[in-house]
Order: sequence, then C-alpha cells, then structure tokens
Amino acid sequence: MGTVLAAIAIVFNILSGGLFMSPENLYNIAQQTAVVGVVATVVVLIIVARHIDLSVGSVMGFVGVLIATLMYTGGWHWATASLAGLAVAIAVSLYQGALTAKLGVPSFVVTLGGLMSFRGAAFLVADGKTQPVNDLFFQRLGGGFDGAIGVTPSWVLAAVIVAALVVQMWSKRRAKASYEVPNNPLWLDAAIVLVPVVIVLGFVAAMNAYQIPSKDAPQGVPIPVLIWGVVALLLSFIVHRTRFGRYVFAMGGNPEAAALVGIPVRKVTLMLFALMGVLITVAAIVSIARLNAGTNSLGTSMELYVIAAAVIGGTALAGGSGSIMGSVLGALIMQSIDSGMLLLDVSIGVRYVIIGQVLIAAVVFDVIYRRVTGDTV
Amino acid sequence: MSQHPQPLVEMRNIRKAFGGVHAVEDVSIKLYPGEVVALLGHNGAGKSTLMKMLAGAYPIDSGEVRIQGETAAIRTPVDAQRCGIESIYQTLALADNLDSVANLFLGRELLTRWNTLDDHRMDAEARKVFHRLNKNFKNVRTPVRRLSGGQRQVVAISRAIYFNAKILIMDEPTAALGPEETAMVGNLVKQLKAEGVGIFLITHDMPDVFGLSDRLAVMKNGKLVGTYRTTDVAEDEVLGMIIAGKQPEGKVQTHTL
Repeated sequence: MGTVLAAIAIVFNILSGGLFMSPENLYNIAQQTAVVGVVATVVVLIIVARHIDLSVGSVMGFVGVLIATLMYTGGWHWATASLAGLAVAIAVSLYQGALTAKLGVPSFVVTLGGLMSFRGAAFLVADGKTQPVNDLFFQRLGGGFDGAIGVTPSWVLAAVIVAALVVQMWSKRRAKASYEVPNNPLWLDAAIVLVPVVIVLGFVAAMNAYQIPSKDAPQGVPIPVLIWGVVALLLSFIVHRTRFGRYVFAMGGNPEAAALVGIPVRKVTLMLFALMGVLITVAAIVSIARLNAGTNSLGTSMELYVIAAAVIGGTALAGGSGSIMGSVLGALIMQSIDSGMLLLDVSIGVRYVIIGQVLIAAVVFDVIYRRVTGDTV
Repeated sequence: MSQHPQPLVEMRNIRKAFGGVHAVEDVSIKLYPGEVVALLGHNGAGKSTLMKMLAGAYPIDSGEVRIQGETAAIRTPVDAQRCGIESIYQTLALADNLDSVANLFLGRELLTRWNTLDDHRMDAEARKVFHRLNKNFKNVRTPVRRLSGGQRQVVAISRAIYFNAKILIMDEPTAALGPEETAMVGNLVKQLKAEGVGIFLITHDMPDVFGLSDRLAVMKNGKLVGTYRTTDVAEDEVLGMIIAGKQPEGKVQTHTL
C-alpha cells in the first residue's frame, strides 16, 4: 500500500511538472488529511469489531459547533469549552454504544439514526448561525499560518522518533533472545527500522522546506499532523499492546469464541464507542480551528471518507482485520489523488467519479489478493 | 457408602429452556477426580447445552452446581474458569484472525508490570505447551485459520492444559481429526486422568466411549436416560438408550465411582 502511495505521488508529480511533490503541496496534503485521518484510525477498530459508525460526521459537526458556540457566544475559555465538547461527545457515543452493545440493535441502524439526528442537533446548537473562532492559540491547533512547530522542534521531533524506533527494535530483539524465541537476522530488522526512519526524515525535511512567503522562517511540521501522528501511535499501541485491542480483534474474528472464552464483549464494545467519542472531539477541535469557525455543515459526508480511508487501508468490512497504519496510508492515498487531480485542473465531477472507483478498486484488489492467498476472512 | 471420595462436580436437578423448548430437564450428574464420563445422545439431546451451563456459556434456569462439595454460582465463562473448569468446544472457539499464541491466552493474557501484553513471555510459554502436544508445531505466529485441523485442536486443548484444568469438558474432540491426532487426544485424556483431572467427554464415537470412559450417561430429549459403568453395558445396549431412550434390562445404574 505504501508502494501504491509512492506510485501515485510519482505519477502526479510527473503530470503536474513537479508541483505535486513540492513542499507546499505536501504540507497541504498532510494538513488536509489530518481530520479524516484521526477519525479513520478509530473507525478501523469499529469495523474490525464488526460494527460501523455512520454518525461520525454529524457528531463531529455537533460537537464542533458546540465548542465554537461556547467560546464565541458563551465566552468560555477554549479549554473548558473543549472539555464540555468532549463530555457531550462521550455521552453521545455511549448512548449509541449502549444501544448496540446492551440491546443488540445493529450499529448500522443506530448510527444511521445518529447521522440524521446529530446533524439536526448541530443546527439547533446555534440556531444554524456560524460561530467564529477567534482565540489565536486555539487557531494554531488547526494548522494554517502559525499552525506549525517550526524548524528546530521539527528536527528534534524527528530525532526522537528515530531514536525511539531504534530502541524499540533493540529491546524487542533483547526480549526475544531472553525468552529464547528466534530473532530475525540483524540485516532484516535493520531494514525494517530503516523504512520508517527514511520516511520520517524525508517528511520533516519537506515540511521544513516550506515557507509561507510573508513569513521569515519555514513552517516545520503542522500541528494537526502532529496530533494525527500522536493519535495513530496511541491507537497502534492500544491494538498491539493492550488487552482491549486484542479483544476488539478477537470479537471481530469470532464473536462466539470471544464470548465463550470470557471476553467481556459488551464492555469492550462500549469502551470502543467511548474511544470514538474522544477522537471525534479531537477531530472537531482541529476542524473548527482550521476553519476558524464552527458551522452546522461541519463534517458533512465525512463518514464516507473515513470509512473509505479505512477500507482503502485494508480494513475488511466483514470484521477481524485491519490496521491503524493502513488507515493512515488509506487517508493519504485518497487525499493525494484528490489533491493531485486538483493540481491538474480536473473538474469536481470527474474527481468524485474517480475517487469512488478508487475505493472499489481497493476492495477488488483486496478480494482477489485474499482469494489468491486462500484467506477467507 | 461414605468412604467414596467427594465428587469433583455435582450437577443437581438442572433445567434449561429456550423459549418453550425444554433443552435440559431435571438432569443430575456427578464427576469424580480422575474419571472420564462420556455423555451420549442424539444431536439436540441436550448434552452440549448441559455442558455449556457448566462452562458458564449459558445461564442455568434452575438447579444446583457443586464443585468439590461447595455450591458454585457459575454465570459466566470467567466464573467457570475460576472453578478450574476448561472447555474444548466442538467449534474449538478460536479467533481465526489471531495467531495460536493469542488464542491460547485469549481472555487471560499475561501482562507486564505496566499492564500491557507480555507477548514474548506468552510466546515462550505457548511454545512449551504446543511442543508437549505436537513436536512439529512451529508456526505459532500464523493466524489459526491457516493451520490444519490437528494444529487448531492442539491450540484449543492447550488452553485446558496451560491453565491447569481440574475439570475438563471435551465436546467431540476427535470429530475433525485424522487417526494420528485422534490417538494423541486419546493419550492426552489418559494422561490427564492419571493426574486426577475429571473429564466430561461428549462424543458419538463408540470406540472413544469404550476406550476412554469409566462411566457413560445417555441423554434423550433433554432428559437423562441413565448413567452406567461403561464396563457394565454393551454397545447395542448403549445404542438402544441413545435411539429409543430404553434402559437396558437387568443393569444397575451407577452414580458413583
């Protein structure tokens, strides 16, 4: 999938005469993908657990407008407003989660209702009026003019990530050795570490090369991308290192077996929806900070983009398989194609047609791949 | 007869209904340490339902379960595990998308002191258990859907062994296995029996019944037809009980060792 993304980038770069891979365009793509990317990470887990959430866009709109209204009309500090938004988002998610987990109402139905209801709620919060966001610090969370961390912190960040990758691999090898579990050959493990190292360094170099003409220093890593990265790392950690993550996959792989071995299926489902609420709030904050306003149309049809990102990223709608890093790549692939076509002046109609077919192509590829390798799930 | 050892499991007057259908009606059964009790009956006779209640997968409508003489309130699989009850289901209850190590420890993962999954320790422990059952089992990190029927069975059985089952429920453990693997399961049953584990063996296979069990209990339409010492009855008498629900003439039922 990484190869697909690289191929897309190279093709668009040639077609656009080098514009696609310019630091400015890469900066914009990274930043624009962040909101969809944040929500897609947790939608992967929802789909893995054999559920779906169609209400993400509406709930994000509702929470976004709510936070903006509390700040603008209510005069609240951004932090308290955000916490209030978080509380409401978790309450909404627990309501939908409880209907699904405790009563067994299909999540498709619950969240389809939510898709409509919470869009309505987004309208009701401020009576349909747009709520400007003026707090300068808060605006930085959305990226934009002052929304990046600068050159030196970006390099420091890159150094920390590289060091962390190396230490992680080293401690993994040591742990395996201490339990007498066979290790990969050293060169293979080195190559496994080298790939993300090169990507991180390349990305930071590109972000540090982008300078807004009216500013006297380059941007560095945009804050929304940083947030997305932290979210993706956190969720990867949850998937690989915690019981909760393992149970989500077990429930998706065989719900009956999960119950028989004593996994608290309902509790895990409820926690999963609560996690959804947390990340929808994060996405809502980044979103209104980026637009400098909360409007009742915020997040419209985002559910389709996040599900598409998850599916392009290799998440099987039948449940049981999917990965967080896949969703990151899926979101980037979708945004890259959209942005690449925009650079080439492709009309909006054609763009929609093509993106829709890319989604299908990703699933067709997945189906064929599974048939060839003999995996049925 | 007070010199009899205490039963490991005593299920008394167990009832279970699904809607209006009585799946299990007033069944009482005992299991002693180191004993294999074969549970026989047609499909739908209620034997799997009875065992699922003991394993905590279905709640009991009425009746009492005693484990080593003490009343046990088994409502969930976790309650059953706490009582030392392990089950090997006919479906094996494996999450096909996870590897064998994850499946062995599913629901009971080993954790580091940071409360995160201790994958390396689980990996090492799992290899030991799998090796005990099948020396050729190396691909422990492959999703179990890619494993052979025998290897999948090894994973399911390993759960019972690793967590030191005192009471083991085996639901048709050899149904999907080749001759070599069937022999492996047979040896395992004998070995566990020698260690004092009590085993409920649900099976349709007469050689298994006569080769492995000490007593046999036959169910039909949710009711217990009778419980006999395996050496006291002949195969056609057992079949008569299963098919017609007819108790063999002149044979005494045995509810103790």
